[in-house]
Amino acid sequence: MNHAQTPLPAEALGYLDALYNLARWLARDPVEAEDLVQETYLRAIRAAHQFQPGTNLRAWLFQILRNTFFTLYKRKGREPEAMDPEILDGMSGWDGPTGVGERMAGPPDGTAGLDLTAALTRLPEEYRSVVLLADLEDFSMGEIARIMDCPVGTVKSRLFRARAILKELLRDYVG
Amino acid sequence: MECSEARENLTDLNRGRLEGEPAEAVRAHVGQCATCAAALQREVEVRALIQAQAPRYTAPPALRRRIQAAMAQPRPAGWSAWRAWLRTHPWTVGSLAGAVAVLLLVWGGTLWMARDPVSRLAARAVAEHVEYSKEMMNRPTPDPPALVQELRSQVGFSFEPVFRGDSQVRLVAGLVSDLLGKRAATFVYRDGSGRYTTLFLMPEAGTTIPAENRMPIETFKPYHQVTSGRHLLLWKQRDLACLLVSDLDEAGMAAMFLKVRKAT
Repeated sequence: MNHAQTPLPAEALGYLDALYNLARWLARDPVEAEDLVQETYLRAIRAAHQFQPGTNLRAWLFQILRNTFFTLYKRKGREPEAMDPEILDGMSGWDGPTGVGERMAGPPDGTAGLDLTAALTRLPEEYRSVVLLADLEDFSMGEIARIMDCPVGTVKSRLFRARAILKELLRDYVG
Repeated sequence: MECSEARENLTDLNRGRLEGEPAEAVRAHVGQCATCAAALQREVEVRALIQAQAPRYTAPPALRRRIQAAMAQPRPAGWSAWRAWLRTHPWTVGSLAGAVAVLLLVWGGTLWMARDPVSRLAARAVAEHVEYSKEMMNRPTPDPPALVQELRSQVGFSFEPVFRGDSQVRLVAGLVSDLLGKRAATFVYRDGSGRYTTLFLMPEAGTTIPAENRMPIETFKPYHQVTSGRHLLLWKQRDLACLLVSDLDEAGMAAMFLKVRKAT
C-alpha cells in the first residue's frame, strides 16, 4: 500500500469529542472550533502514513490539532485578554503561588473570584493547554511534552504555575 | 530533596503516577516543607475543581458526519503512485483509455440530450458546490477584504461589493471557478450548523434567466430550481449573473439570498 492510500485508523473517530473540546478551549468559538477539528482530521488523513501503528494515536491527533491551531490562527492577535506567556515563562524557576498571584494573576479590577471558564480563558494558551491535557485528558507529562513540542520540565513548571494562577483567580471557589 | 524537585512531581504524585522510592521522597519533603505542602494542597483542589466543573464540549453531529465521510472516502493515489502502478500494469492502459472514452461519450451525450443552457449551468454549479463541501473548504478566512481583492485581480472583472458573511454565516473560502467556460468569482459560506452555500458571480452577458420557476422573495423573483437536492437561485444584478447554491432548506435559502442580494 502506498503512502497516499494508508487510511487513518478508524479509532481516530473515537477521539472526536476530546479533540473538539480542546479546540473549543483554544479557538473559543464554536464555528472556529469546528473548522479547527475538521482541518485536524484532514491533515491526519493526509499524514496517516506517518503514523506508526501501535504508538499513541490520541497524542498524535492532539499534536496535529495544536499545530493546526498555530498554523490557522495568529495567536497573539487572538488572545487579547490572556496573560503574556513569555513573561510567565521568563520568571525564574518555580515561583511560589503568592509571587505569581501578585504579579500576574489578579483580575484587572482587583476583584476576586472569576468563574472557572473565565479563569481558564485568562491563562495563556500554553498554560491552558497543559492544564486541560493533564486534567481533562489525563495525558502523562511526556505525552503533553510531545503534544506541546517542549521539554517535560517546561510542562511541569507551566502546570505548577498554572495551578497557582488559577487558585488566585478562583479565590472564591478554591480554598 | 529540593523544593523544585518536589514541585515537579506533585502532579504525578496526586495522580498516582509516582510510586515507590521517588513517591516516598516527595511525601517526606512535603511533610517537612509548609510551602510544598500548600502547593500539593493547591494541586489537589484545582485539579479536582477542573475535573468536576470545567465545561466539556461535545462535537456537533454535523461535524461528526463530515469527519466520518472524510475518513470513509478513498484517497486518490498521487501521480507518482499512478506512474508506478502503470509501469507494473501496462496492459490495463488500453482498457482504461477505452473506459474513459465511453464515460466521456455517456456524459457528453447526457448533457447534449437533456440539458438546456441554464440546466447545464445549474448542474455544473451544483457539482462545484458539492465538491467544495466535500473537500471541506472551510479554512478560516480571517481577512475577507484581502480575499476579495485577490479574487478581483484573478477574475478580471469587477464584482464588488459582495456579501462577506455575518454573525450567522461565515465566508470560509474564495476561489475562481469555471462554469461552462465562464470564469466566476466564487465564494463559499458556512453557517453554524455546517451547511454550505456557494455564490458564483460572473459577467451576465450571454446568460438568459428563464421566465418560469421564479421564487418570490420579498420584492425579488430569482429563478429557482432544485438540483441533486440542492436549492439553486439564479438572477441578474448590476452587470453580473449571480448564482447561489446551498445545502439550506427553502426558507434558509431565501434568507441567504436576501443577505447576498442586498450586499452585492
